Amino acid sequence: MIAKSIFSRIIFLHVIALLITAIFLPLVLYWFVKATADHVHRQAMREQADLVAGYLAARPDGGLTLDLPPALQAFYSPAYGRYAFAVLDDTGKVLFSSRAEQAPIFANDPRTFGIAFLEAQRGNAEVAGVSMEHEVGARKVWIEVGEDLAHRDVIIDDIVADFKRAGFITLPMLLFLLGVDIIIFRRALHPLIEASEMAAHINPRRTDVRLPPDGIPKEILPLVQAINQALDRLEGGFRAQREFTADAAHELRTPLTILRGRIDTLPDRTVAKALHRDIEGMARIVSQLLDIAELETLSVDAQDRADLRAISCEVAEVAAPLALAQGKNVALSGADAAVWVRGNADMLTGAIRNLVENAINYSRPTTTVEIVVDESGTVRVLDEGPGIKPEERELIFQRFWRRDRRRAGSAGLGLAIVQRVAEAHGTAVGVEDRPGGGTIFSLKLVRADADQAVPGAVPAACLGSVTRTASNQDTHNDKK
Amino acid sequence: MRLLVVEDNDELAQLLTQRLQAEGYESDLVTTAAEARAAVEVTRYAALVLDLGLPDGDGLAVLREIRQRKDPIPVLVLTARGGLHDRVIGLRSGADDYLVKPFAFEELVARLEALLRRPGQLLGRALQVANLTFDTESRQAYIDDKPQVLSARETAVLELLMRRKDRVVSKKLVEDHIFGLSGDVASNAIEVYVHRLRRQLSELGARVQIHTIRGVGYLIAEEKSD
Repeated sequence: MIAKSIFSRIIFLHVIALLITAIFLPLVLYWFVKATADHVHRQAMREQADLVAGYLAARPDGGLTLDLPPALQAFYSPAYGRYAFAVLDDTGKVLFSSRAEQAPIFANDPRTFGIAFLEAQRGNAEVAGVSMEHEVGARKVWIEVGEDLAHRDVIIDDIVADFKRAGFITLPMLLFLLGVDIIIFRRALHPLIEASEMAAHINPRRTDVRLPPDGIPKEILPLVQAINQALDRLEGGFRAQREFTADAAHELRTPLTILRGRIDTLPDRTVAKALHRDIEGMARIVSQLLDIAELETLSVDAQDRADLRAISCEVAEVAAPLALAQGKNVALSGADAAVWVRGNADMLTGAIRNLVENAINYSRPTTTVEIVVDESGTVRVLDEGPGIKPEERELIFQRFWRRDRRRAGSAGLGLAIVQRVAEAHGTAVGVEDRPGGGTIFSLKLVRADADQAVPGAVPAACLGSVTRTASNQDTHNDKK
Repeated sequence: MRLLVVEDNDELAQLLTQRLQAEGYESDLVTTAAEARAAVEVTRYAALVLDLGLPDGDGLAVLREIRQRKDPIPVLVLTARGGLHDRVIGLRSGADDYLVKPFAFEELVARLEALLRRPGQLLGRALQVANLTFDTESRQAYIDDKPQVLSARETAVLELLMRRKDRVVSKKLVEDHIFGLSGDVASNAIEVYVHRLRRQLSELGARVQIHTIRGVGYLIAEEKSD
């Protein structure tokens, strides 16, 4: 699944919202302007009707007179043609009209209650106006006032017509708003991006990293706090695991040491030797179990660098006495100088040590286990053992797998450790037949640039611990 | 020669002191970091055997304090850890040597002897591998208690190897030791000396074997009887 960016999601939804606004805003505004124009027109018509009504008077004989001042007569004159009025009685008969033909202005029955807004067609012209009920003396009349819309108040028309054009300006304005919003979103998301970058650095060895709550938006703060609390629990878990490993190491190894010391006091040296071998086997299983437990709390940091040659040399130093005790030997060849790779020196030491110990245990007596460090960042361990059948090549990496279950001092954990370390380094353990018999195990690591070398990242391997005496104390302290 | 043993496990502590006594070392025993601090301040010990896992704190803290006082007392660290992560911590904190439990008691004694025989320290007994012994004071090798004549450089190589018997001595260390840092060493010079030493010891009847760990270094051990 490809995670969508919150930023693009916001922008996408924002663009949709803007498009909808860009369509509806001009329409709504146009409707408002038009409605206002109509209202203004009706108001004007009504005022005119009131004005005309004011000049209506009842005669003593029951008839009506309309005595318009000359200015108003001119206003309604057919010559001007813009406005017209008519006064109808309750039968629909026209009593007075500005028009020569003395006809009602609106064709339909004008005798409405109160006031009505009407429209009529007269020739090509569209007439709009009011019909207003009015009482003069005891009589009810209807005063109709109409305006030829072709001659309507030009200003209002222009406003309505121009607004259609002005509506288009909303689009660039909305686009400008979009641009401003993008900048705002960027700024608002910045603390989140920073927090994610910090979160990317969290691994089992650096569980002390916490996301900074400063600058995080209030809405997202609970998430950040929840993550930090989860990290607290995680760190506690890792600490507990580390403490467990340390405690377990102490509790398991101290009794073995005591046992060993007691065996030393046995008079029968043959039995003592056999028991020592048993203890060595048990000690190795304990170490491997602890290593496996510890591997759960270790991880490779992107900045980690290790000298593959120094590590291999150190492993060879440690493994040589074991090999010699079994009448076998080890040898180191390949690169002469340091081979810096990306990786955790401690974990790689554990992996190579297990490969070498495994090779020593399975190789024939009088043979030599070869450790070859390649300049490209690959280390190979070659033995002259029985070889590994193709169908077993997956099985050998499973925990507690052993070809020969009767074999003492082996729990089948070594290659599982190697596998786990390889996985943590993004690589795999290579297994192939050695020409002429035996097996080649290989670990291919990523070569690091020489300028990324970390002096003192591994102990002064291959110099021997005689140099690690008090007279060299200062050199050790320097490496801290 | 008095040693201080800091070990919280009673049984192991008893076994340690008994064994050390059998080897001729008197030792005081304390079981906590606080006692250890107090003990090193009042008494001058020849060496300190320090377990890292103490009930009232980390033995490493004690070690750091001692080193901060510029106290050069040789310290042999005993650790139950030695895992992937904390393998080298002890040495970086100023330990002279360390042993991961379960260790062989004879290994402990051998390492202590090596620490105590350094310049400035009281002289210990001779180094021994099978019937071959080496007196570090007179720089004399003996086979079956008979003094043997070896060249200066062969003697130097032998001493280096015997100080670290059953452990690998890197070729680089041998080179530095024999020729110093300035010497222009022929690439096979060390091999020649070792080869000569090996042949001579064999001819003289020493039941020892000098193994070559190709690409790494050399190791002296008792010759296998079988």
